[in-house]
Amino acid sequence: MRKWFKQLDDILRGETTRMSLLTEGRFEIPIGGLSAAIVLLGVSYGLCMGSYAMIRTSGQAYMQLIASAVKLPSLFFLTLIVTFPSLYVFNALIGTRLSVGSALRLLTASLGVILAVLASLGPIVVFFALSTKSYPFMLLLNVATGTIAGLLGLGFLLRTLDRLVIVQERTESLGSGSTADSEQAKKPEDKVTEPTGALDRVGKFTTRKARSVFRAWTIVFALVGAQMSWVLRPFIGAPTLPFQWFRVRESNFFVAVFRALVSLFSS
Amino acid sequence: MLPIGVEDVLRARSCAMLDVQPARRMLQLALLVVIFGMSYGAVMGSFGGVFGERFWQVFYSAVKVPLLLMGTGALSLPSFFVVNTLFGLRCDFSYSLRALAATQAALTIILASFAPFTVLWYVSFANYRGAILFNALMFGGASFAAQWVLRRFYRPLIKRDTRHRVLLRIWLVIYAFVGIQMAWVLRPFVGSPGIATQFFRQDAWGNAYVRLAEIIWLFFTR
Repeated sequence: MRKWFKQLDDILRGETTRMSLLTEGRFEIPIGGLSAAIVLLGVSYGLCMGSYAMIRTSGQAYMQLIASAVKLPSLFFLTLIVTFPSLYVFNALIGTRLSVGSALRLLTASLGVILAVLASLGPIVVFFALSTKSYPFMLLLNVATGTIAGLLGLGFLLRTLDRLVIVQERTESLGSGSTADSEQAKKPEDKVTEPTGALDRVGKFTTRKARSVFRAWTIVFALVGAQMSWVLRPFIGAPTLPFQWFRVRESNFFVAVFRALVSLFSS
Repeated sequence: MLPIGVEDVLRARSCAMLDVQPARRMLQLALLVVIFGMSYGAVMGSFGGVFGERFWQVFYSAVKVPLLLMGTGALSLPSFFVVNTLFGLRCDFSYSLRALAATQAALTIILASFAPFTVLWYVSFANYRGAILFNALMFGGASFAAQWVLRRFYRPLIKRDTRHRVLLRIWLVIYAFVGIQMAWVLRPFVGSPGIATQFFRQDAWGNAYVRLAEIIWLFFTR
């Protein structure tokens, strides 16, 4: 188990997505171990979300804990499944030549980042859950933590995609150029200025189309994730409603958040 | 193996941070937070008197101040750790931790130095709301001054890598967000003389931000 978290740690520190590694064509992200770490972190954050229901002193409180612990990792994997085909297709359209395996590994790594951030915010969520009666507040707090985690995870995704595209462009220019060019490509400055973080921007993005497509795709990912969380609700458990595994289909994520904001101020 | 002194903390001597094992330093800094925090807490709680039943308020408040600071720190730490890692600043994290702990120690030392003012205020005025506001002022002033210590400790880090400045702001936002709620949950610190002494108030399970939102709303709709 330690190995899984060590692998996730390498991703967070930017070790796995270093330019030197990517240039050599090594994009080593172990999906199995990483998925295990994602599940564990997801369960832990699910428990944090469901802890709000502990205010209710009945057997139903434990049901919400269990339900959230199961649903949260499922939420992310389902979002992955729904959005993966389009990511691969758009990558192929732009011509980044990211193979299916690499695209999957990239997305899994991004999920790892999202869940690491989310799980680290767990203690704060538990603290507020145990000391707050207001359900709209808890809803908005969890939306906020999800947003922060999502932004950082998708930021990681975009930065890594940038790097993969740059690497590919370099190898392409190497292929079409002479040996003199290839000497130039391995400039020593590349090593000196290599940034150390997973979120660092490397070089200037040369393909505008690719950039806007990736950014559009991250918006899609965010929207799918948000609506998926609504579909899989309840995670927190409204105090006025009995426990259910899933609620009746109605409304949507954004209307619910807006209503929560309004009720927070007018209660 | 010298223990870290009050001078070292207030004057933000980075070398004092680095010459001893990190774990030992953290323990010494935590001890400073406990000692000085309890001193100010005891003074806070003495508003309604120190004898008889009111002694318990003095004791509770003494316990609550270090609890407030270290509890907030503990809750905010995991997310700070992850964001540091993502920004590539993990190698400096051990030093950051000690800098943050030293800032908390500085806060409590400064607060303890303000204790005589609080005593004077309590002796002069019997108004409960006034006492709370005065203590809020003391905490505010001490927090503000403690930021100087934090800046000074962080200077070598920022010089090495400017992203630390961003991380520092992120820490302050997380810490303030959690700390406000923690202070609300842990109340009363001063203890209204008319109400019986309790560790937590009956309606402790409320949310500082919800109350704030209600107050703002009422202010605008009345």
